[in-house]
Amino acid sequence: MIEVRDLKVRYGARVVADVPELDVGEGECVAIVGESGSGKSTTLLSLLGLTQDAEISGHVRVCGVDVLTASPRRLREIRGARAALVMQSPQAALSPATRLGVLMRRALKLHGVGTAPSAGGTPDEIMDRAVEAVMLDREILRRYPHEISGGQAQRFAIALAIALGAEVILADEPTSALDVTVQAEVVAVLRGLREERGLALLLVSHDLALVSTIADRVLVMKDGAVVESGPAARVLAEPSHPYTRELLEALP
Amino acid sequence: MTMLRAERVTLGYGRRAVVHDVTLDITEGGVGLIGESGSGKTTLARAFLGLLTPMSGNIWYGDQTLKKADLRKFRKDVQPVFQAEALDPRMRIGTSIAEGLPRSARSRVGELLEQVGLDPDLAARRPHQLSGGQRQRVVIARALAVGPRLLILDEPTSALDVTVQARILDLLASLDTERLLITHNLAVVERLCRTSHVLFAGRVVESGPTADLLAAPAHPYTKALRDAVPRLGGAPPEARGRTEAVPAPSGCPYRLRCPLAAPECERPPALRDLGGRQAACHRAEEVLT
Repeated sequence: MIEVRDLKVRYGARVVADVPELDVGEGECVAIVGESGSGKSTTLLSLLGLTQDAEISGHVRVCGVDVLTASPRRLREIRGARAALVMQSPQAALSPATRLGVLMRRALKLHGVGTAPSAGGTPDEIMDRAVEAVMLDREILRRYPHEISGGQAQRFAIALAIALGAEVILADEPTSALDVTVQAEVVAVLRGLREERGLALLLVSHDLALVSTIADRVLVMKDGAVVESGPAARVLAEPSHPYTRELLEALP
Repeated sequence: MTMLRAERVTLGYGRRAVVHDVTLDITEGGVGLIGESGSGKTTLARAFLGLLTPMSGNIWYGDQTLKKADLRKFRKDVQPVFQAEALDPRMRIGTSIAEGLPRSARSRVGELLEQVGLDPDLAARRPHQLSGGQRQRVVIARALAVGPRLLILDEPTSALDVTVQARILDLLASLDTERLLITHNLAVVERLCRTSHVLFAGRVVESGPTADLLAAPAHPYTKALRDAVPRLGGAPPEARGRTEAVPAPSGCPYRLRCPLAAPECERPPALRDLGGRQAACHRAEEVLT
């Protein structure tokens, strides 16, 4: 679903992210871990062509589309539909005066989902199923963004991705603004979607403990460079780079 | 020795109470206040700082209530440590720290910076020229300037990177002031607080030695909090109960979220003693086993 080779993201002369290799297959979860300024979020955004004013070189394929050479029209076909972005605070991106159901219906229309007969049912059916898949009550579609909690907003963002037929979710610290109990629910939802739908997940996080419980593979980034990568169990149990060891020792 | 004590305190904003009938001592060895957003933990901290007057009940400072106490002395004894954003962006670091010092003691700024592990030369800088971890250290130095006996810390490390957080926790553990720590992070409490209180919907649902609380919780909510924390190489965090369920307006406030809820939970549970700790749950014995 995601294939990256020799990705370099530059702001002026400065390389802020240098990723030689990154692959995420169907049903896989790969995590990029690191601290502020490591380039982990920049890497994630560059995969959808969302880094402004940055110069990007290398080879990036997301859902079979060559992101760096694709036309804006072709990019829009994957962005937000087949490849969905889930941010830290989705509430900030939800229009405050629009009910969540209306918002989701608009998104479906914009991407032409549920218009062709037999393509997964009517918009209403698609919406109900998506909301159910993230363990939310259908009633939430009648609410306004300020009437829901942070955890519900995050699950709604994931439901929106499901409704639009996402095959891969790129999530930037999706649970770090949430209480631990709520985080556990969101993580359970993401795990379920991987197992039941073969959804691919690229997760950016600073939380190594969380990453160790859900990721198959891990990339550790520091100052824009990948310092270590490999199977999560190996990297986190037997880190070979001093920085990975430092991160692990810092866990309270 | 108990320095501060909340006695049957109800707190709120306007007429709306958000903390209900809480009795809690700040004892030696560090005290943790644990809870989710909206649990009332920051409101309780504000009352302990004398920034919020209780709707009913009292905050005791030694043998006086805060209403009657000598506030000049109180403010020297009890200092808040908030997140680093609270520093005045226009003020030099040294000036910020010296504000709390008498004119004759201004030379102590360098010493205080060293005490929190910073280079004294940073006194000439402004907050934006420092990293997040350095700014948090400055906030701690500023609180230490007046020689307090108790620090009240509200999520002192939650905005920091893990490696920076670890060093700030080391610093806090090394100080010989008492501390009340407000956080949602159980691992932080485990390190810095001998005693902990778990708040749910403005009520204390469990109190006791931190180690006991985490090893064998007696309240289903404490258990849910503990089991939701991801552990390195452990099983995925468990989601217990529906977090979107609102606190019940009557009976046990946790019952709509609780996997153990039974008809008896429609009666409000009182905090009761369970061998060295208290829990407010009709079914605490079952949770413990």
